[in-house]
Amino acid sequence: MTEKGMNEKYEKMWEDLGLDISAHDGLLKVLGQFYGDIYLSQDKRLKGMEYLDFVLSEVHGLRIKELQDARAAGKKIIGTFCMFVPEELICAANSTAVGLCAGAEIGKEAAEKILPRNTCALIKSFVGFKLAKLCPYVESCDLVIGETTCDGKKKAYEIFQEYVPMHIMELPQMKGACDRDLYMTEVLKFKAKIEEVSGHDITADNLKEAIKLINNRRKALQRLNQLRKAIPTPISGRDVLLINQISFYDDPWRFTAKINELCDELEKRVQAGEGIVENDIPRLMMSGCPMAVPNWKLPYVVESSGAVIVGEESCIGTRNTRDLVDETGETMEKMINALVDRYMRIDCACFTPNPERLEHIVEMAKDLKVNGVIHYALQFCHPYTIEAYKVEKALEQENIPLLRIETDYSMEDIEQLKTRVEAFVEMVK
Amino acid sequence: MSLFDRLSEKSQLEIETAKEVGTKVVGLYCTFAPKELVRAVGAIPVGLCGKDQTPIRDAETILPANLCPLIKSSYGYAITNTCPYFYLSDFLIGETTCDGKKKMFELLGQLKPLFLMHLPPCCDENRSLNYWVGEVIRLKDFLERQTGTKIGEEELSRQIKIHNKKRVLLKEIVGYCANYPVPISGTDMMVVMESRNFLVDIEGYINNLQRLARELQAIKREGRSVCSPDAPRILLTGCPVGKGSEKVLRIIEECGGVVVCQEHCTGIKSFNLLVDEDDAPYKAIAHRYLKTPCSCMTPNQGRIELLCQLIEDFKIQGVVDLTWQCCHTYNVESYLIKTFLEKRYQIPLLHLETDYSESDTGQLKTRIEALLEMFH
Repeated sequence: MTEKGMNEKYEKMWEDLGLDISAHDGLLKVLGQFYGDIYLSQDKRLKGMEYLDFVLSEVHGLRIKELQDARAAGKKIIGTFCMFVPEELICAANSTAVGLCAGAEIGKEAAEKILPRNTCALIKSFVGFKLAKLCPYVESCDLVIGETTCDGKKKAYEIFQEYVPMHIMELPQMKGACDRDLYMTEVLKFKAKIEEVSGHDITADNLKEAIKLINNRRKALQRLNQLRKAIPTPISGRDVLLINQISFYDDPWRFTAKINELCDELEKRVQAGEGIVENDIPRLMMSGCPMAVPNWKLPYVVESSGAVIVGEESCIGTRNTRDLVDETGETMEKMINALVDRYMRIDCACFTPNPERLEHIVEMAKDLKVNGVIHYALQFCHPYTIEAYKVEKALEQENIPLLRIETDYSMEDIEQLKTRVEAFVEMVK
Repeated sequence: MSLFDRLSEKSQLEIETAKEVGTKVVGLYCTFAPKELVRAVGAIPVGLCGKDQTPIRDAETILPANLCPLIKSSYGYAITNTCPYFYLSDFLIGETTCDGKKKMFELLGQLKPLFLMHLPPCCDENRSLNYWVGEVIRLKDFLERQTGTKIGEEELSRQIKIHNKKRVLLKEIVGYCANYPVPISGTDMMVVMESRNFLVDIEGYINNLQRLARELQAIKREGRSVCSPDAPRILLTGCPVGKGSEKVLRIIEECGGVVVCQEHCTGIKSFNLLVDEDDAPYKAIAHRYLKTPCSCMTPNQGRIELLCQLIEDFKIQGVVDLTWQCCHTYNVESYLIKTFLEKRYQIPLLHLETDYSESDTGQLKTRIEALLEMFH
């Protein structure tokens, strides 16, 4: 559908959601141009990517319509910002989870009225989206879940909750036995809150199903990550990033089925030895902060500099898909324990110390046979910018070069990034 | 005041002497570290927060430049071994207060043994008190192992009393600035308050505080004041300030204001609360420290309450909220504080974000002058 057609079709819905229509049109326009330049211009894309193109073109349209229909039928929409919020409990309570992390600069000015300028771009973006009335997802939410991961988010939620109904989960910063207990308490509180808001009891039966549902989505993404390891590389890093991004918005049943179809196609391509780039193109891995839609800046720079991205060690990447929840539990107690075990394995830099992440990065870099790693941190994100030093040291021991990038969502530094990335690609060749 | 001059240098010699007879020195980075426990094992607690610009350049070879100067300065002192107190420390205590410190401590722990206390992000008792009691007891075990001294109940309760006494005295002393005449400047008061961070002999310090209190009483009786009656009365809040990082405090007073009250960690925030002497000691200690109204807590209602009380008690006309660059928690919280205070008291709040360098002194001066202008 043309942009204009879509705008007309959904304008009433956006108005009802309270969006600023002309600012929102501006956002969609930029998004469309961006997508055309960065995605649609690629050679040898998989046919299965058409589904992702469609979802993205309807990201503020059809998907929002679906959410509205679900709400009309009594379902609740729960917004989240972080992988530490167990989505299984939301699904079990017949509710829908949507990711609210944002990756555009457009609401920055509005956000900076209530947040310091030197706050990370991701936080400013989701706050800005709300204040500038640009995000139909946040407007569709019956409840938004925050967590005390980092200083920036933790404190921003204190202000954000003046604008949206929130529940804050306290997250431990270490991984001892008492920390597991603390997280367990928070998971149980979260469960009670979701039951209250949704009006649905979470039972052993519906939780078991929800665990399977979300595991299946993770398994599809794991399968994708296995297949893309092939040489020559059969799918661009940009496309895999997009798939990971969409996993936070789309209906989990449909998404899993579509990604498995895409994987079938990918499998054939790998068997035929076909790739999107030559065999000798440098293989790079991204590691660090999440890249939320439409933050495709750095992957685009990397893949236009003669390299290909073969892995994302990030929340919108393997950190989200690596671990499954044990499915053997039959009782509520066993299943909650399985959830807690799985979520406490997340190796976010907000933990101290966080040796698992270093191990995972080294393991992944070797497994993917990368020529180098790009450590990506959002400006002012202390946990990742400080941990980058340790990542560099860990990779140094394995003779794997690392490039440290610190950036935000603006396009001002794109030439500078290009110069640095090109020099790095040249070096690792 | 002369009792507090050059106390740091004097203490250094005393610490060296104490170390010769086997006394342990414990480096602290935060007001959340329970000093009573450190004293109860016979060790000397010293504050190691960096307040000087000099070592920052070296720190930035490892830490990101976009980090608060306090963290960079502290780490810079450690890696360049230029802080005598760091050098003298046998081991260190850190807390998971903010992201920057938490992650810096991972690197600092490679230089000296470091015990990290896990501070929960919420100070709500129901949610966090039991957890924090566990951390206080874990610290006790660590201190006992490191020093080979068991903490006896009697000694602990003695330490609780001594520390409370020190806090009560400090509160009394700052209270002399609650009305005119103001017998001591904010700059001098900072020296008095900060010198508690490197003491060998805490009882000697208490004696000195008592003498200072008598002196301030006398000055007040004589009607002497460090400022004129119409000097704007300023409350300084926000990130910690100390010798080397007092530029904002200095500029306010150079421009004709008088800082009659300091809420930051060197100031009232860290001695306003007492440990309940009648409660079980570990729980009482945990409770008192958990209630420290630091911006690393979410929500941090305690700070709003404390500020309200101080604004009323000290007849405050204007608030200066100082944030060290890239300190997210104080920086974000400033918006909430400003909105609240301006609504409740209709008094102005000037939020300043700066670092330890002198490069923005002119600009700070202009902004502070503009604030002080408002009261004429």
